[in-house]
Amino acid sequence: MVRALVVALGLVLGVLTGAGLMLANPLAWLSGLPPLPGDLAPAKAYRWDNYRGIDGGVADLLGIARPDRAIALMDPALLHVRIGIVVLPAGEGTPAALAVKVSATDDANSLWRAQLGTDDYWSIFWPGEGSVFANAYSNYWAVARDAFFAGIAGGEVMAPSYAVTAPEPLGDPAGVTGASGRYAGFTGEIRELLYPAAAHSGPDLPDPGRAIAIKVNPPPVGTR
Amino acid sequence: MKRLFIIAFVAGLLAVAVAATLWPFPEHVRYRSISSVPADGGRMEEFVIHWPEDRIARPRERGAALPAAAAVGAVVLEDSAGRRVSAELFRLRDTEDNVIGVAGRLAGTGGAIADRGRSASNWLLVIPSRGALFLAQSDVLDTTVREGAAAEGSLALAPAQAAAFWTDRPRIRITSPAPAGDGPGTTRPGTTGRVLRGTSEFAGLRGSFTETWDLEEVNADGSTRGRILLSTITVGAN
Repeated sequence: MVRALVVALGLVLGVLTGAGLMLANPLAWLSGLPPLPGDLAPAKAYRWDNYRGIDGGVADLLGIARPDRAIALMDPALLHVRIGIVVLPAGEGTPAALAVKVSATDDANSLWRAQLGTDDYWSIFWPGEGSVFANAYSNYWAVARDAFFAGIAGGEVMAPSYAVTAPEPLGDPAGVTGASGRYAGFTGEIRELLYPAAAHSGPDLPDPGRAIAIKVNPPPVGTR
Repeated sequence: MKRLFIIAFVAGLLAVAVAATLWPFPEHVRYRSISSVPADGGRMEEFVIHWPEDRIARPRERGAALPAAAAVGAVVLEDSAGRRVSAELFRLRDTEDNVIGVAGRLAGTGGAIADRGRSASNWLLVIPSRGALFLAQSDVLDTTVREGAAAEGSLALAPAQAAAFWTDRPRIRITSPAPAGDGPGTTRPGTTGRVLRGTSEFAGLRGSFTETWDLEEVNADGSTRGRILLSTITVGAN
């Protein structure tokens, strides 16, 4: 009996230590993209509660979540996708915008490389002004790591916000492409923030808060 | 006893290492891409959306007992100057009718976007196993979804879903023709539909596209069934 307890204790501690060492992977600290300057690209807070598909949590990224049939997309090709319409608020000199956001679990996710993320795609339209497309890779490794250590320590070790945008694992092009109106031909960068506080409130409560920052530059002026 | 504990501890560490190496991450189901090569070059691929069944309703959104033009999975945003933007969500199919991805259609009017009575629209096509395509065009008419009133609150109205839209035609090309003289360097002169960029498997591609709506059936209640055809021709950007 005592031997069984010792084996069980050793195994549990070994698994917890191993998981902690893996989650503390230093690659996670090196992989993020620096934030955009706030005066050039103010972060616009938004909510993404009205979505269909996966909720995008760590269990979904690991493939161990049970689909919520009320909102899941059950087509075989869409089992790991989330789609929704987002209203980006007015402010900082721009009007409110309507957007479609799609996230799909990334094919290159890897526990050894500290990659636990989604490929995110945006189409954003400002009434009467113009529109842009954007894509980026969001890595939720740091969120998963801090949630794990918060669970172990029983305390609050979550940061107030996480800059989740990271370089594309496979080197795909990311960024912003102007589509119409005054943004036609523009190019730029995108960053996303996750505010996890609401995620602690329970499964039936709203999705975590998020924010998006976009910086665009006009097309270069050609000379003849 | 101490040795037993250490062995168990190391076994726990190894179990994590093995799990981290062999973890079966989710993979997107992939269907064979169906493309062809037009006579004048490039790569042609068509995508299909059936209305109303391919509309992706938002959570708790009701699809039954609504007016003929009512559309689920759509949101309208209009400013005080009457400039409107609408967003619609769809499942995306290949020409063999397999659901291969999702699509978002955003259309806008007014100001710097489009002439009076017309709209400009963007298609975001995401095929999870292959990547995304970003498409933009000028429309031959105002294709934005309108906001209507219902007993339960507001609802979205897509004019093309009602039979009245189709009184004089069974088919309409939504993509506006390009102005005369426009088109050099494109794979399909004569259309304003542009493939702006792609990601993953579509990275480095540019080209053109057309959007066509086909009426297939008019129902007794004035609603319709039909098909949106997105026909793309892409070439490498370099």
